[in-house]
Amino acid sequence: MSATGKITSIQQLKNVIREQTALRKAEKRPVLTVSAGTCGLARGSQKVIDSLKRLIKKEKLEKRVKVKVTGCHGFCEAEPNIIIQPGDIFYQKVGPEKAGDILHKTILKKKVLDELLYLDPNTGEKARGELDIPFYKKQKRIVLGDNALIDPTDINDYFSIGGYGALLKTLSGLTPEAVIDTVKRSGLRGRGGAGFLTGMKWELARKAKGDLKFIICNADEGDPGAYMDRSLLEGNPHLVLEGMMIGAFAIGAQKGFMYVRDEYPLAVKHVTQAIEQARHLGLLGENILGTGFNFDIQIAKGAGAFVCGEETALIASIEGRVGEPRQRPPFPVQKGLWAKPTNINNVETWGNVPLIIKKSGDWFAKIGTENSKGTKIFSLVGKINNTGLVEVPMGMTLREIIFDIGGGIPGGKEFKAVQTGGPSGGCLPKQRLDLPIDYQSLSQAGAIMGSGGMIIMDENTCMVDIAKYFLNFLRNESCGKCLSCREGTQRMWEIVKNISDGKGREEDLKILEELALAVKDASMCGLGQTAANPVLSTLRYFRKEYEDHIKRKKCPAMVCKELVSSPCQYACPIGQEASTYIAYIAQGKHKEAFDVIMKDNPLPSVCSRVCNHPCEKVCRAGESGLPISIRALKRFVMDWAEKNGIQYVPPRVSQNREKIAIIGAGPAGLTAAYYLALKGFRPTIFEALPVAGGMLAMGIPNHRLPKEVLAREIEVIKQAGVEIRTGLTLGKDILIEGLFKSDYKAVFCASGAGKSLKMDIPGEDAEGVLHSLEYLRDVNLSRPTKIGKRVVVVGGGNAAIDAARAALRDKACEKVTIFYRRTKAEMPALAEEVDASIDEGIDIQFLMAPVKVITKKGKAAAIECVRMKLGEKDASGRRRPVPIKGSNFIHKLDTLILAISERPDTSYIGEGDEIKRHGENIIIDDETGSTTRLGVFAGGDAVTGPNSVVDAIAAGKIAAETIEKYVSGQIVTRDYRLVRPLIYVKPAELSEEEAAKAKRPVIPALAMARRHKNFEEVEGTLSEIAAYREARRCLRCDLETEDGKSAIGAKK
Amino acid sequence: MDSVITTVQSTLTRHQNEKRALIAILQDIQAEYNFLPREALEFVAKSLGVPLIDVIGVATFYRAFSLKPRGRHLVTVCLGTACHVRGGPKILSEFVKKLAISPGDTTKDKHFTLETVACLGCCAIGPVVVVDGNYYAHTTIRKVDSIVRKYAKKRVKK
Repeated sequence: MSATGKITSIQQLKNVIREQTALRKAEKRPVLTVSAGTCGLARGSQKVIDSLKRLIKKEKLEKRVKVKVTGCHGFCEAEPNIIIQPGDIFYQKVGPEKAGDILHKTILKKKVLDELLYLDPNTGEKARGELDIPFYKKQKRIVLGDNALIDPTDINDYFSIGGYGALLKTLSGLTPEAVIDTVKRSGLRGRGGAGFLTGMKWELARKAKGDLKFIICNADEGDPGAYMDRSLLEGNPHLVLEGMMIGAFAIGAQKGFMYVRDEYPLAVKHVTQAIEQARHLGLLGENILGTGFNFDIQIAKGAGAFVCGEETALIASIEGRVGEPRQRPPFPVQKGLWAKPTNINNVETWGNVPLIIKKSGDWFAKIGTENSKGTKIFSLVGKINNTGLVEVPMGMTLREIIFDIGGGIPGGKEFKAVQTGGPSGGCLPKQRLDLPIDYQSLSQAGAIMGSGGMIIMDENTCMVDIAKYFLNFLRNESCGKCLSCREGTQRMWEIVKNISDGKGREEDLKILEELALAVKDASMCGLGQTAANPVLSTLRYFRKEYEDHIKRKKCPAMVCKELVSSPCQYACPIGQEASTYIAYIAQGKHKEAFDVIMKDNPLPSVCSRVCNHPCEKVCRAGESGLPISIRALKRFVMDWAEKNGIQYVPPRVSQNREKIAIIGAGPAGLTAAYYLALKGFRPTIFEALPVAGGMLAMGIPNHRLPKEVLAREIEVIKQAGVEIRTGLTLGKDILIEGLFKSDYKAVFCASGAGKSLKMDIPGEDAEGVLHSLEYLRDVNLSRPTKIGKRVVVVGGGNAAIDAARAALRDKACEKVTIFYRRTKAEMPALAEEVDASIDEGIDIQFLMAPVKVITKKGKAAAIECVRMKLGEKDASGRRRPVPIKGSNFIHKLDTLILAISERPDTSYIGEGDEIKRHGENIIIDDETGSTTRLGVFAGGDAVTGPNSVVDAIAAGKIAAETIEKYVSGQIVTRDYRLVRPLIYVKPAELSEEEAAKAKRPVIPALAMARRHKNFEEVEGTLSEIAAYREARRCLRCDLETEDGKSAIGAKK
Repeated sequence: MDSVITTVQSTLTRHQNEKRALIAILQDIQAEYNFLPREALEFVAKSLGVPLIDVIGVATFYRAFSLKPRGRHLVTVCLGTACHVRGGPKILSEFVKKLAISPGDTTKDKHFTLETVACLGCCAIGPVVVVDGNYYAHTTIRKVDSIVRKYAKKRVKK
């Protein structure tokens, strides 16, 4: 029996609820519950519903199954989702094409569709029901839970879960005082932000003098990032109405307003319907249930003003005026809407009221913490795996919410901050993850509960940008009444914007803090009083990021456009202007491109072959396709110059400045010497080995970097005025002390990381076991090596791949196998190198770790390995490999090459040298490269351990800069400049057709047959047309800065 | 112009010429015309006995009102916090590039209006773009192109 006519008595309502509850119980058909809140609809749930209904009609299944359309189920990530009862099956991300399978297999044959179940990414296991999913397991969904049970457009469905039972109880004889007492006992606090005790507010409103009183439901959910109120209004509007009715009875209000955001069309629709239904049945209006209680609710739609979430501004808005707050007291409970006593609570608060009345205040008070009772709904959004609405008991820690329920950060990224409380709230860092969530602890930490928005930020979020974002929001939303807020938010925004644009000054942070406190103190309403929170909390926890922006002109998260300019140039440790030389290639101006490259890099042909290209990793073309092949384009330019006989001639500088000693002729040493020579110094490089080049000459085999290419570039460096003395070892042939005595004014230690690490497994020292670096050195020096038929390489870095490919080229070798303990995704070697080695027939076995070397007559004969599996994530966010017990196996071999890792060998440094080390790594000041000894600088792998070529070149450049300052008696600091190209080149204009067709080129490679047992270079160069096409694909991010825009605008 | 007055008159009547209903009245007028025509505001002021400046004050205070005519298709890019950290600003600048207008403006042919909103409350599916009430979830720069093309096509057909 559906209720259709007016319900005129308490008994009648009791009957209706009983009938509807019985009807629900009597439902024998399986029920398919489809979520269809705004998010679900946006993800296509209507199509799912349509196709289910169509099929049911077509196949006449009406008596076998029921489809119920509900509001949001909270797990937004899994939309559209379907819950099937009985059976408790949760299907996620359901497409309309699945309707047939769901009906035929699950409903008719009771078969669970595996492919629609939730897959736990951490355990790899499928979850069948809601409660098997980690997202739901730890929640306590007392308010939100019913969303999944009812059709929000049908009041009868609300009756069927006992809805309006709390109103029934209230009107069945409770006094207003008793209701207020229950709410007081519950300890319920306002869920809108400030957390005022609801029962106390009601009591004040009840006691306020006046015949006419109002209540208001604040559904102006303006906090960006919070949407629990929308979800409740969409999914369970009668719950909120029931709460308002009970409140009105307790306070003695005759009229209620629902002030709801116009940006929530579906919520407006459902609430409007719900009010009409309630009114139609007599639950709103005159003489409700014959008890003499009169109450009605009217909708007032907000018109887009954040400040109207403030109660006095909201009241002004309902009165038809500009939404400016006014001074309190008098508080709205004394003088509110049209100067009558008015009680305002937010949606979630009202939604809690029926539960408290139904179950008791004491029941509610048992949930939560000492001062914060009950549950709170949070919207978990941003950089989080399980986005959605989460309802948890107060007191749960941020870590539990973010990692256990939210499933952590996507893409293996690092958690950086959580922002709570919207524009009035604050950002909390990693150190605060164990904070229990309640009103007090949050505000002590510098944030607020607010309405429950919880925005998760990862390493790619810039905290300066976040502060700028909120200030921009607040300066737009400030109503303008108080000068401190109107001007203060504007000025704070300007300061932070300047910082974000790279125009910040060091004194800005102090001014910002002062201003923030002034705005806080001098503003009248909550908006202004809390407007400084985003700034103050980010300054408190992320000050270093501000300093990076101001002093170093760096935005570590690469968000601030004016600092980043083009990501390729920004990410390049030596600031190569990739976007400029690429632009020249697109115009066919290869000589100009060559000059741009040479300006910043003394080893470009080397880099164009072996660079790990951080530029390509951040290339924006890679966000919606594949990144520009920047390394290949550089190679094209260098090869073009070589082919056309264009040689770089370093500028002639008269070398009349001091002598500088450089230890090691690797990329760091060569670069430092080169730039010092160009400044007029007289640098000498001392190299222990017989040839210059360091790891470039000794570590990388010819098939990847031909010796003559390296030699050519070293020749140019020599031409610039660099002396290289080989075969001289520091500590043996020369001493640091002696260098100073020989009138060298500074020393730069760039001795590299040339020692292989041992594995610490039995048998490691047997004959037939080689270490990668020593092996590669012999190969590169054309010394004899002992490679057998079956070679095993252990490791996953570039040295492992180089050693494996070199061994494969050895005449004696028949098969090469690589063992690596993690999977391909975790391999540190360049992806293109890994692929090339597989192409050449090298067998890579993943998830294997050696346990011991089995020897025969003192010679390595086999290796015992254990299989691994990926376990829990470690501190680095990568899943840690753990051995599988009893999975050991033996692999026969003739030669074993260990390529685990390398370390520096700085044993040449004596105690008297006063140069501090961490193990073998030299300790330097990161900023300047100075060691603990005055006049001695260090850089490259000797400091960092094994690192990329381009990082070593960068270290050399920094050393040249700081050594010059040191020698000429200046304060040794770094000069930081904004990342900008020297000149702006006009962009290529692509037709839509060309843009659609453009794709990353395949780099030519030496035919497999020609690679057999020789060290001929494998990788080729792009053709001119391929390079031209690829260069035109560049998005030219450098033109998006203000400088770039105006430069191009000027050219037009 | 007469038709505007007639429409506004019936709106006023529906709200019983109540001053306090001013915002609702303006919302209804905007729903009808997609913006607030000047003559409508003048007529509302006169009919309610409210100074025109107060009507304009309300019309300019609230973000939802527009004093400029809007295009046939309204593109709203959400710039809420969740959309912001997921790249909402990049989506907006792509629309700015594609449509060659600034946020708040309308293309010359009156086909598109581009606006931003501070949050639509669908944070889970951000970055969100809404065109004429249709929600586009997880928008990427690439999707911007197809969205613009989809609605631009309608322009050709008409």
